[in-house]
Parts: sequence; C-alpha cells; structure tokens
Amino acid sequence: MGIFDLFKKDKSKPDFSNVQSGSSTNAPPPGAPTTNTYVVKAGDSLSKIAKVVYGDVTAWRKIYEANRDIIKNPDLIHPGQVLKIPAA
Amino acid sequence: MSRLSRLSLVLFLLIPVLAASCGKKTQDTTVQTQQPASKVAVTTVELGRSVGADGRITDRVDAFKPTDVIYASVSTTGASASSVLRARWTFQDGQLVDQSERTIAPSGDAVTEFHISKPDGWPTGKYKVEVFVDGNSSQSRDFEVKR
Repeated sequence: MGIFDLFKKDKSKPDFSNVQSGSSTNAPPPGAPTTNTYVVKAGDSLSKIAKVVYGDVTAWRKIYEANRDIIKNPDLIHPGQVLKIPAA
Repeated sequence: MSRLSRLSLVLFLLIPVLAASCGKKTQDTTVQTQQPASKVAVTTVELGRSVGADGRITDRVDAFKPTDVIYASVSTTGASASSVLRARWTFQDGQLVDQSERTIAPSGDAVTEFHISKPDGWPTGKYKVEVFVDGNSSQSRDFEVKR
C-alpha cells in the first residue's frame, strides 16, 4: 500500500468537523452557593438522607448541624420537614 | 567448579531478579490504591430526539434520522464538590465524532444532557456514546443512524 492509498483511505472517512454539541444540567456548578433542600419522606432518617445526598451515611451530622433550628432530636425527623442540605 | 560454588553462583544471579520483581509488584499496588474513587456514579444513560426541562429524554429512541439532534441524558447519583462528566461520541470503528465535558457539583441525584447535531446530516451507520466520570469510563450506549 502506497502513501497515496493511505491518503485515499482517510478521505473516505466521514468528516465530523462541523458537528455542533452542547450540554445542560440541573446540578450546580462547582463553587456555586448551595441552597439545596430535601423534603423528608416517611421512613427517612438523617443517615439515610446523608447516604442519598452525600453517598456517605456518616455525614448525617452535617445535615443535623445545618438544621438544628428545626431538628431537636437527630433520631426523630418527620415527613414533610424541609431540611437544608449543605454543600458536600 | 564445585557443586557448592555453582549453587552460590545461581543464587547470586537469581536474588537480584527476584528482588526486582517483588519491588515492581509493590509499586503497582501503590498506584492502584492512590487512585481516588469518585462519589458520583452514573445510574442511566438514555438516548432520544428531545429532552424536557428536567434534562430527561422525552422521545426515547436508539435509531435516528440523519437530520436529528441526538440527545444523551445522563442520570447520576451521589455528591461531589466537583466532578467532570464527559460524553465521547464515536462512529463505527471508533472514529471520534465529538467529545464534550460538563463539570458538576451535585448534592444528590442529578441529570445532565449532552447533545450533538450535524448541519449537513449524519452519515448512516452505527455510533456509540460513552460516558466518563472523572476520567473513568462509566456507561455506554450504542445507536444507529438510518435513512
């Protein structure tokens, strides 16, 4: 195979140089102030919520500290309560 | 050369080789354990012709027309202060079509959509979109463009 054959082969490939792309997300960008909230559902516990939002059950205390004004006992949260979720 | 001398010579030659191979294994293990695991994981990748305001696919297909805008909706779970999602689109035998990234800082479940279009139409054939989280391949979907 000569150098001209290689060139011909490349030319036979489709040209994607004019492809236009974009993206969007409902996740906040890094560094954005977080005002996320979580509405407590039946069967939830702080550690369960911590697992969902941080992927770490031991981070429940972070949620508790951010919501001391509405949570008196960390073992007792109620469906419908709106919890502030601090940034990870 | 006596038997003892030959044995000594063999041991003398083998010890550095064995020591070097043991040392290499230790080094490889260290590299693997130093790789940090991302807290964000991809749960689903869906393809379609349009997305809703929430970024989820509203018209789910895996066969497109040459004039279509192709959407990939990536659902993730987990939280991170900064994670990079990358969509890598390829044609047939791996020819790169497009690659784009989005840096996100989710505090829980999130949806990120990537889309591509080609003003003069997509060549017919088989395509693939592969989604990476922080450089690690996570999920991929195959699709086709036909007339």
